[in-house]
Amino acid sequence: MVIALCVTVALAIMPLVGVPKSWILYIFLFFIYLAMANMWNLLAGYSGLVSLCQPAFLGLAGYAMTIGTWLDIPWWAGMIGGSLIAGLFALLISSAVFRLSGVYFAIGTLVVPEALRMIFFLWRPVGGAMHGAGAGYMIKGIGDLSPHVVYWLSIFVGVGSLFLVKGILRSKLGLGLSAIRDNERAASSSGIDVFRLKLYVFIISAIITGFAGTIYYLYQGYIEPTATFNVRWTMTLLLATVIGGIRTVEGPVVGTVVVVFLYFLLARYAGYSLLIQGIILVGIMLISPQGIVGILRRSKFYDSIVKRMK
Amino acid sequence: MIYGGDIITPILMGIMLGGLYALIALGLSLVFGVMRLINLAHGDFVVMGSYIGYALMRNFGIDPILGLIISIPVMFVLGFFIQKYLMGRAFAIASEIPLIIAFGISLIIQNAHQIIWTPLSRALNTPYSHMSFHIGERQFPVSYLLDFVAGILIMLFLRWFLKRTYLGMAITAASQDKRVAQLMGINTGRVYGYAFAIAMVSAAIAGVFLGMTFPFTPTSGISFLTIAFGTVVIGGLGSMLGTFIGGIILGVVQTIGGYLFGPASQMLLVYIIVLVILAIRPQGLFGK
Repeated sequence: MVIALCVTVALAIMPLVGVPKSWILYIFLFFIYLAMANMWNLLAGYSGLVSLCQPAFLGLAGYAMTIGTWLDIPWWAGMIGGSLIAGLFALLISSAVFRLSGVYFAIGTLVVPEALRMIFFLWRPVGGAMHGAGAGYMIKGIGDLSPHVVYWLSIFVGVGSLFLVKGILRSKLGLGLSAIRDNERAASSSGIDVFRLKLYVFIISAIITGFAGTIYYLYQGYIEPTATFNVRWTMTLLLATVIGGIRTVEGPVVGTVVVVFLYFLLARYAGYSLLIQGIILVGIMLISPQGIVGILRRSKFYDSIVKRMK
Repeated sequence: MIYGGDIITPILMGIMLGGLYALIALGLSLVFGVMRLINLAHGDFVVMGSYIGYALMRNFGIDPILGLIISIPVMFVLGFFIQKYLMGRAFAIASEIPLIIAFGISLIIQNAHQIIWTPLSRALNTPYSHMSFHIGERQFPVSYLLDFVAGILIMLFLRWFLKRTYLGMAITAASQDKRVAQLMGINTGRVYGYAFAIAMVSAAIAGVFLGMTFPFTPTSGISFLTIAFGTVVIGGLGSMLGTFIGGIILGVVQTIGGYLFGPASQMLLVYIIVLVILAIRPQGLFGK
């Protein structure tokens, strides 16, 4: 616990002591991806919901915030409102996609961001200057917003999501989820409302993913549909979670470090970075289905570190 | 695509385009039917077929359809080994691992294409693919007709193969009940390998006709995977005839969507229909 706190504080004061800007950017990305990967782990790992529609949540939240700034709603209110809209959207589509199970759930959710991309491509909610080839919007009124604040927000959401996952797993909701995962029929006959528990997780993950998305777009300064509702987001989250170790709390942390580190290492060769991630993914799955954490857990040294972190 | 005139033209184009979609989806449907695996790399295998055709055409001047004589054995062997050394092992670990491995293969192929061929858009331009033919007053590209003919032929061939040949019946048996098939003396490991290899061959063929119809880039695989998903969802996973009809429906819906709402939103109608069918009848219109 103490070590974790020290690391967080050290990372938080980094921009104040003159650490290179590119480092800050990678740490920022790490925390954004970490928050989203944690939420994906909660869905796919702990609830058996292989959701491929996470870009829909972060995109809707981002768009809500951006459009809000054009209507003179301050960015911080837009962040909260946008996250809630993402949660509402999860509630809205749940009635359709929750009828599907397993593979069909994955296919059904995959289509959602694709449809949203086309809608936002055609829809022009507010007038004014468009940005980029995808005809997106600039975020208004964040000129005096310090980049440090955006960076700290990312730490907040990254670390916060980690505590949230831990908290959920210890709560009644988490216990219900593990019962559902082990045997859905037995859980439901023992009085667990399967639909409601899954819905809670789906909405929580949508809100947090949306919140992390708004922070990402605050940093980027504009939003456009093609890169927003893009399957690349899903790929990043899946890679980070699965390489690290799905269905483990530490997994997304380890996996996100690997993903961001490869990003950093191979920044000039974007194609090679994904190629290597693909090879790592296939290799690790064949060696250890529980990812890097699965391999690490076999060693005693790792055990002692984890115990001290707790 | 912009269509002038009446609604008959987009419907006819949609039917022909549907042949191509069916061709792309047949391999996905076969692998799902046999192994219960959603092969996320299928779209990239199709694009790989397009690039092999492109390489043969550019370097040796071989016509892409003739080039299939070379690419089919290559893809067959590759498919067999992917199943034997990656997927087969993955199935032994846990049921969701093959899906993740397929995703990893998709990433590898996509980025290998990007490195070898650069992200530029390519096309298989042959003298005949740009010609057009007439149905009454209406004019259509020859490549669309080729798509449709190839779609029907491959679908009929796969149906015949699965029902009438020994290997085909073994594949069907293994997909219906793996354990009983093993008791009857079928080597299911090898049968899975052949099924995957045949799916790869269909991807190679689909890739060539795709390349003659649309330009392709290293990342095209994802959009064609989505189309193949849609086709298979409409038609029903695992059924060859259902997949073909699903392809036609999807093609027609897309072109009518383009006709009614303009080219930018032609896929929107498709996605809505896919979502509606998933919600009402997840096993597809022709699935069991």
